[in-house]
Amino acid sequence: MSVLLQQLVNGVMQGALIALIALGYTMVYGIIQLINFAHGEVFMVASYGGLATYTWLLPEDLKKVPYVALPLMFVGGIIVAVIVAVIMERFAYRPLRNAPRLAPLITALGVSVFLQEFVRNVYPNATSNLPYPKVFPEGALQLGDVNISWTGLLLVLLSVGLAVVLQTYINQSRMGRAMRATAQDPDTAKLMGVDPDRVIVLTFIFGAVLAGVAGILYGGYLSNINIDMGFQTGIFAFTAAVLGGVGSIRGAVIGAFIIGLIKTLAGQYMPGGTQYDYVWIFVVLILVLVFRPQGLFGEPERVRA
Amino acid sequence: MSVNGTSSGKRSALAPLGKPFAVAGGVLAIVAALLPWVTFSLNDGNWPDKSTLQFFDAPFEVTGFRWHMLLLGVLVLVATFAPIPSRGRVIRALGWGTALVSFVNGAYITVKGGGLAAITALDGAVAFGSIVGLVAGVLMILAAYGIGFEPVGQWKVKLSTPLAYLVLLASFAAVLYAVAALLTTGGVGAANPYAGAIFLSFLGFAAGVLGALSGVGFIKWLSALSEQHRVFSVIVLAACALLLPFTDAGNEYWMTVAANIGIYAATAIGLNIVVGLAGLLDLGYVAFMGIGALVAANFSGAATAHFGITLPFPVAAIISAIVAGIFGAIVGSPTLRVRGDYLAIVTLAFGEIFTRSAQNNIGGITNGSNAIPGIPQLSLFGAEFNKSLTIGAVKLPAGVLYYVLIVLLVAATMAVFANLKFSRIGRAWIAIREDEDAARAMGIRTGKMKILAFLIGATLAGLAGAVFAHKNGTVSYESFKFLESVTLLAAVILGGMGSIPGAVLGAALLFVLPEKLRDFADWRLMIFGLALILIMRFRPVGLIPDAHRRAEMIEIADENAEEAHEEAKRA
Repeated sequence: MSVLLQQLVNGVMQGALIALIALGYTMVYGIIQLINFAHGEVFMVASYGGLATYTWLLPEDLKKVPYVALPLMFVGGIIVAVIVAVIMERFAYRPLRNAPRLAPLITALGVSVFLQEFVRNVYPNATSNLPYPKVFPEGALQLGDVNISWTGLLLVLLSVGLAVVLQTYINQSRMGRAMRATAQDPDTAKLMGVDPDRVIVLTFIFGAVLAGVAGILYGGYLSNINIDMGFQTGIFAFTAAVLGGVGSIRGAVIGAFIIGLIKTLAGQYMPGGTQYDYVWIFVVLILVLVFRPQGLFGEPERVRA
Repeated sequence: MSVNGTSSGKRSALAPLGKPFAVAGGVLAIVAALLPWVTFSLNDGNWPDKSTLQFFDAPFEVTGFRWHMLLLGVLVLVATFAPIPSRGRVIRALGWGTALVSFVNGAYITVKGGGLAAITALDGAVAFGSIVGLVAGVLMILAAYGIGFEPVGQWKVKLSTPLAYLVLLASFAAVLYAVAALLTTGGVGAANPYAGAIFLSFLGFAAGVLGALSGVGFIKWLSALSEQHRVFSVIVLAACALLLPFTDAGNEYWMTVAANIGIYAATAIGLNIVVGLAGLLDLGYVAFMGIGALVAANFSGAATAHFGITLPFPVAAIISAIVAGIFGAIVGSPTLRVRGDYLAIVTLAFGEIFTRSAQNNIGGITNGSNAIPGIPQLSLFGAEFNKSLTIGAVKLPAGVLYYVLIVLLVAATMAVFANLKFSRIGRAWIAIREDEDAARAMGIRTGKMKILAFLIGATLAGLAGAVFAHKNGTVSYESFKFLESVTLLAAVILGGMGSIPGAVLGAALLFVLPEKLRDFADWRLMIFGLALILIMRFRPVGLIPDAHRRAEMIEIADENAEEAHEEAKRA
């Protein structure tokens, strides 16, 4: 029983991490119908950005003060993520706005490979796992036999909190209305005085900020980072976005928690154990895409030419 | 792609300068070819072909890239005054060629020689060759914008059949020569320290000349001609391919590289059926090649093979192809319900499931990360395929039999592709690619056709995989990961979707470049990612676009406008 509870807790924490990235996928897809394959790499880059901030920018005495070091790492990681996302949107995706559908998807693959290899070549020692600094609250909350690490708790709170903020922003603010309008019909939105380019850039920035937060938390939660984390976690996040229904904020978060739970529970109870947890997620992805492509909360699929 | 507004603005400013710039560019290129390029001898000996100051020992000996520069300059001068169609395009291509040759050599000398002094002036020695060359290239490109771009020339020349055969024969012989030159230029390995730079420089030259030929309309005319005499072209092409071992490239090293390219080219052609013809993006395609390789390995009698039976290669290859084909149909079956980029994700998921399962040695048949080593080499009448071969007085390099086998494989794949493309099935695929709903309305059974595309594509990949297993002697899941799928896809896109020569060219480029550019091994994938982005941005139709595909891509802007209009109406 305690094993199950522990795995449930772990699943929720993994889900929280995936949710932060899934939000970026779902928003971008909602607005320009692009599977931004490189979003996972933005998350990875942010993680390295946070590490770089800690390693080279923070003075020695501040490194020991978690209250200062951690927020500064968040800032560093988020800034890197936002810069990468804006450059990517401007120079890779925007010129292809009217291109055939496959073109931006292939570009996204190119961006993904490029970012991964760029970090591998440029960041010192990036070929091996890099340890993440211990600026996160250590220890865990003990509830009976179940361990709830403070970092994990922070992760869940931040993830759900940010998702709520985002949802509120999109539903209530003027800019949020512009985003929804662009998602529904870019041309009419333009006629109504919405600047689609601005909306799209802003969408990418929001996604990058969330990915940035996720990148730092990933380092804290797993205590080391590597180049491949972006691709793997990105795929999980994409699956979550699809499961929840692409374009739906609430769907992405719930989908992410489901994926997190599937991963940990399958690793524990399914044949093959953790070596195959990855496979089960892909099986879920295929089943969802085949039998309910609109996801749990999405609108029915529009027929596209 | 419509010509964007800025070029017309540039044109008006540059128009009167077109011809003068072209002449100046041509003359400067010739001058650059005769100037020294390096102020001193590099560490590894003279920069190729006496382009350092020692050049003045033999002022008329122009070889290597300087010979290319000279040719480019002369060609530009000819193009400026000769009555040719689409002068602007020709001069632009030659200009890029000149600029690339100068830039590659200049940059390499700068990096290797330790700073700009190496290509300017040092201790009283002057060597401005690369800078003059670069200026020449830029002038030519500007001149091209001044002259303006007419549509690519249309050649109306009709040839009688024997004459057409002669032209095709000459052209393919030239292709063979170019390929052999491309492979061997600069050499390879530690004995040739400048291999990477010389190769890139040659590539720049070749690209410039090819671009010029294509601009003047020759390539288009030639491809129409070869389309017209398809059977003859295929035979000649195959013969040319089989003659490669007799050229400079006929040594073990290049036979191995060429065989590897062939395997990937065959796989790329298979992928081209799925992506290029049927328009279904497959991101896990290399898994089928992996399945084929694993099946072949397990039936090969290797020590770690799961099944204790050893089948002769042809039987094992056929089984591999069939098994891969079955998996292809399974992976393709979601196409009945899933479309577009969602389908791409489904195929990606299948690909990842394959990699993971193979990595974990599923069912004991993949041997996980230990791979399946010791797959026996193929042999025919006692001649092992990896040994050198002596027929009478002719001694052929080692690995030549694999090369021949793989040429046959590529030829067979091409034949399958070409026959399908021009058949009822191929037309159905193209119709599905263009508009699935319309295709269905026209009575095409779209579901069946889409699964068929996956099945045939996977079968071809399985076959290629079986050859791959025997040739490399070992099969590991490492060779069939996501990145390989992306590379194959990139080969198809780079070459031109739906076009056969395109797939071969794309595979050749993507798998030769890493061999030649070992200096940049770490940066290879990064450049590759950047290349994908740039191709999609600047030449989404690929290097050798398929005629249909090309038309479609050019019209796409209008189509999109229409589509948006439709959607607006619907909402």
